[in-house]
Amino acid sequence: MPDFKTLRPLLWLALAGLLAMVVSVSLGSGPVNPADTVAVLTGAGTPLQQTLILELRLPRTLSAFATGGLLAVAGALMQVLLRNPLADPYVLGLSGGAAVGALLAMLAGVAGVLVSGSAFAGAMLATVLVFGLARGQGSWTPSRLLLTGVVIASGWGALITLILAMAPASRLPGMLYWLMGDLSHAGSPWPALLVLVLVCLVLFPLGRTLNVLARGPMQAAALGVDVRPLEWLIYLLASVLTATAVTLAGSVGFVGLVVPHMLRLVLGNDQRLILPACALAGGALLVLADALARVMIAPEQLPVGVITALLGVPTFLYLLYRSGR
Amino acid sequence: MNLGVLLLCLTLWLLPGGLQAKADGICAKDAVAGDFCLETPAQRIVSLSPGATELLFSAGAGDQVLAVSAWSDYPEQAARLPQVGDSNRLDLEAIVALEPDLVVAWVDGNSRSQLDRLADLGIPVLWQAPRSFEDIAAAVTDLALLTGRRALGQERAKGFLQGIRDLADQYRDARPVWVFYQVWNQPLMTVNREELISKAIRLCGGVNIFADLPRLVPRVSVESVLAEDPEVIVTAGRGDSDRAWLAYWQQYPGMRAVAAGNLYLEPPSLLQRPTLRMLEGARHLCTTLEQARARL
Repeated sequence: MPDFKTLRPLLWLALAGLLAMVVSVSLGSGPVNPADTVAVLTGAGTPLQQTLILELRLPRTLSAFATGGLLAVAGALMQVLLRNPLADPYVLGLSGGAAVGALLAMLAGVAGVLVSGSAFAGAMLATVLVFGLARGQGSWTPSRLLLTGVVIASGWGALITLILAMAPASRLPGMLYWLMGDLSHAGSPWPALLVLVLVCLVLFPLGRTLNVLARGPMQAAALGVDVRPLEWLIYLLASVLTATAVTLAGSVGFVGLVVPHMLRLVLGNDQRLILPACALAGGALLVLADALARVMIAPEQLPVGVITALLGVPTFLYLLYRSGR
Repeated sequence: MNLGVLLLCLTLWLLPGGLQAKADGICAKDAVAGDFCLETPAQRIVSLSPGATELLFSAGAGDQVLAVSAWSDYPEQAARLPQVGDSNRLDLEAIVALEPDLVVAWVDGNSRSQLDRLADLGIPVLWQAPRSFEDIAAAVTDLALLTGRRALGQERAKGFLQGIRDLADQYRDARPVWVFYQVWNQPLMTVNREELISKAIRLCGGVNIFADLPRLVPRVSVESVLAEDPEVIVTAGRGDSDRAWLAYWQQYPGMRAVAAGNLYLEPPSLLQRPTLRMLEGARHLCTTLEQARARL
C-alpha cells in the first residue's frame, strides 16, 4: 500500500480538479457570479440562476471531468499495452468506429440518444473487429495488435470522409462538431463517472503487475505474470473507457495522448500512481478547456477539442524541455 | 480641336471598360467581378443553387434552364430538370457538356476555385449574393435582363419590394418582440443581423436577440439563450424533427417564450432561400409574431 508521501500528488490533483469544477460552474454567459454560485448550491438564488447552474453547467462540468478522466486513463493503459509512447485511446480505431456510427445516425436524421447509442455500437464493433483480426490464426503480439488497429483506423477514416462528402450541407456543422469533440449536448454524466470509478477500482490491485508489464512482456513472464490474459484485460478496459468517453462527448483529441506523458514526466512511471492521477488530471484539464470553450467568444461557442490542444501543447512541451536538462 | 474637347475624349476613353461593353451588350451586376455582360440574351442556362433556380423561374427564364443543382425543388418544373450535382460538389463535365451560355452561381454556396475552371473554358459564370430584400429584387431584374425579359423582371421586382414596404408600414409601430431564431439544434445555431431571416424578423417588428454577433450564422449556447430570455422562439426547418427542437425548450418553463407558449415552426423553405418567396415567408412570419404579441 502506498504511503502518504506517494499519495500527496493525488491529493493535489484532486484539489485542482475540484477547483477547475468550481471555476467552470461559475463561468458562463448568463448573469451568475461566484457568490451566486455558492447561493445556488446552498439552495438559494433566482430560478434562472438555478436553471443555469444546476441544469446546464453542473452536468456539463461533470461530463467534461468524466470524459477527460476516461480518456487519460485509457491512453495510459494503451501506452502500457502497446509499449509505444505514441499510443492514445484512438490509435486502434475505436473513435473511428464510434464516429462512423454517430455520423451515420446523423445522416439518417436522428438526434440525441440514438446518435450516442449508435456511436457506442460503432466503438464496440471496432473493438471486436480489432480483437478478432489481431488474434488471427497464429500467436499475436502488441505490434500485430497495433498494426491491425492502425489499418482498421485508416478504414474508418476513409468511411468518415465518404460520409462527410455525401452529407447534405445542412448536416455538416453537427458532424464536424462531433468529430472535433463537443460537450454541449452531453447527456447525463453519471454512467460515465460510474464507469471511471469502477475501472479505477479494478485497476487498483493490478498496479504492481502493470508496472512489471510496462518493462516488457519477457520480464513480466519471467516474474510470473500471465501476460496474455492481462493484455486482453487491459485492451478490454481501455476500450470500455474510450467508448464511454466518445459516446458522451464525441472524439475529443489530445487528452488521452498527452496527459499520461505529462504525469510520467512529473511523477515517474509507477502505474499505481499514474492511473488515478490520469483520471484526476485528465478530468481537470477537460473541465478547464470546456469552460474556456464556453466563454472565450461567448455567447458563441468553440469545440472543446481545440482548447485542450491549445492548453496542452505548451504545457507538455515545457515539461519535456525541463525534463531533458 | 481645342484642349477641352481633347480632355473630354481622354476622360471617356479612360472610363471603366464596363461602359464600352454596355454599349453593345446586356450587362448585370456580378458579386465577384462587378460587371457581367452578355452579347445576346442567354438561352442555355445552368443554375448552381436552389435559390438561383427559383430566381431564374421568377424572372420568366424557366424554359431556358437546362440543368440545376441538387435540392432545386421549386417550382415543380425545376424539380424535374436534370441535375449537375450538389451546390458544393458539382459535376463540371456535365456542366461543360451542356454548353451553357450562362451559369448562375451563388457566392455563399458554390466553390470559387471550381467555377473558375468553367470561366477558363469560356463559359460565362454570373455570381450572385442576395443578402437583402433589395438584392433579391436586383437579382431577379438582372436575370430577366440577361435572358431577354427586362420588363417582366422589373415588374416582379417592383411587386416584391412593394410587398416588403407594405409589411414595413404595417408593423412599423408594433410593439417590439424579442425573438430567438433557431437555425439548427446540434450545434445550436442562430443568425445575426446581416442574415435575411433577421431582416424579415425586423420587418415584422421583432428584435433578433443575437443580431449583434459578428458571424452570419453563429453557434450559441443554451445558456446564452436562457440569459437573453426571448419572448418568442421561431424555427423554420424541414419537418417533424424540428418540432422536437421546439419541444426541447419546454424543459425551461421560466423562459418568457415558453411561459407564453410562443414556440413556432414556420413553413419550411419560405424563409431559407433568398428568393421572391421570401415575401410570402415574411408575411407568414409577421402573422406569427402578431400572434405571439397577443399572447404576451
